[in-house]
Amino acid sequence: MSVDQKTIKTLARLSRLEFSDEEIEKFAPEFEEIIDFANRINEQVSGDTESIREVVTRTVGWEDLREDEVKESLPNEKITSNVQAENGYFPVRRVVK
Amino acid sequence: MKYRLVSGLETHVELATATKIFCGCTTAFGGAPNTHCCPVCTGQPGTLPVLNKKVVEYAIRAGLATHCTINTTTHLDRKNYCYPDLPKAYQISQFDKPLCEHGYVELESGKRIGITRIHIEEDAGKLVHESGYTYIDYNRGGVPLIEIVSEPDISSPEEAKEYVEKLQLIMRYIGVSDCKMQEGSMRCDVNISVMPDGATEFGTRTEIKNMNSISYIEKAMGYEYRRQIEVIESGGKIVQATLRYDEHSGETSVMRTKEDAQDYRYFPEPDILTVVIPEEKVDEIRASLPELPTDKLHRYICELKINPATAKLLYKYKRVCDFAEKAFALGAGVKNTVNLIVGTLYSKLETEEDKEKFLLPVTAEEMAKLVKLADEGKINITLAQKTLAKMAEEGKPVSEYIRPADIAGMDDGELEIICRQAVEANPAAVADFKAGKDKAIFALYGFVKKATQGKADIKKPDAIIKKLIK
Repeated sequence: MSVDQKTIKTLARLSRLEFSDEEIEKFAPEFEEIIDFANRINEQVSGDTESIREVVTRTVGWEDLREDEVKESLPNEKITSNVQAENGYFPVRRVVK
Repeated sequence: MKYRLVSGLETHVELATATKIFCGCTTAFGGAPNTHCCPVCTGQPGTLPVLNKKVVEYAIRAGLATHCTINTTTHLDRKNYCYPDLPKAYQISQFDKPLCEHGYVELESGKRIGITRIHIEEDAGKLVHESGYTYIDYNRGGVPLIEIVSEPDISSPEEAKEYVEKLQLIMRYIGVSDCKMQEGSMRCDVNISVMPDGATEFGTRTEIKNMNSISYIEKAMGYEYRRQIEVIESGGKIVQATLRYDEHSGETSVMRTKEDAQDYRYFPEPDILTVVIPEEKVDEIRASLPELPTDKLHRYICELKINPATAKLLYKYKRVCDFAEKAFALGAGVKNTVNLIVGTLYSKLETEEDKEKFLLPVTAEEMAKLVKLADEGKINITLAQKTLAKMAEEGKPVSEYIRPADIAGMDDGELEIICRQAVEANPAAVADFKAGKDKAIFALYGFVKKATQGKADIKKPDAIIKKLIK
């Protein structure tokens, strides 16, 4: 599969990553290699797929679902302990104009 | 040229479960910021979501109540997008295998608005924008939602209003949501396009996001309809875009266009296995559904012979209906019961919410006792109204206001004496009546009413008086 620089730029934007032009140039062929590697799985399963389907379609039934019973939440200090909370809120740079 | 409006709605409804969709945190509205949160609903690494049984049950209820087919094998999907209201940077939703599909909601005209699908998903956190910062509260994050997607069958703002009201009513009846638009437990995205009359192809559509009031939906649709026609008439083209509606100006403005449309990269949620729901479970849920609003309205009008205007005042409020039906079952006559509810009790229940909650200290048993007295002519309707008003205020039983002696004492003999007195005390009225002035008899009614303190229905004295005058 061919991966062009435009695809890399889109992926970077969606992942909120910034790359230089040189990096993007380098990534395109590397990405191709990665995808080709993953595609080898498709080749392997072209024969016997029954055993794999069993794994893929593992299911849960009604009784496996969670009962609707309230459990205690974490205290605010704990849930916000990794940030400098303000009045209990998580502050981030303003996201709307 | 005339243009047709083509619209479909995506309606988000918060489910009234006790806990969130994937963890045991409470779904209670409000609360101090970030106090209804745990590692699961804040997306901490290493946590795993476990699907809430009640969410699946409620979504199936909603599907069955809107005539959908239920996909008993269903799975969840990841919808990826980066925004601070989602701590995981993806929302767990459903993409290609929604729980419910192919339903409809019927409008009063008989027109059906198709339901394409109903799927389950998690709500996002709440963002507060202030000065240079955005503040995040994840209490709402992970609260279960159903998204009800309609077909583009809506062709006017009035139809949109009726459709949303019907949905709201159905969801409240079946108890899956309180659908409070002002609290955000029901919100709509409105898709809208126009096409010339007679055209066969839909025009380019725009989507107005996050409408939280029915009147704004109507206004925004009206504005967008006119705007799109203006653009086309002046030779322009509609650009596919997501819009926001400004409540103050009454106008729509562009949030983003198709070029920077989101690429959600949906894929099957690997943390939650495919769910298989037994057919018997679906049957069980179907059997537990109450009578639906449209069916109830129909029954009230056709079977109980309640006049349509009154029936419409009643059927919207499930608790009022439950109360009335219990009184009917205890032998209270339909006509007097519903008239007393609409005439007397509703004056104590001013807002929609009051009627919905129906928190009056009158039991159906006491109501039935009172109505039966009126049905049997032992008290007249004015006294019944006055008594009911007091009961609704003071919460005391009928016997507190109308003693058995009062009713028992009003036997036919006593009534005849009072009627005789009425005739004797009003010779002029009697003469007028005999001369053909039918209305003159009201003077005699008044006398009887006063003398019996309203305890006699007017039918009996009427017969006695007429007999006496003859």
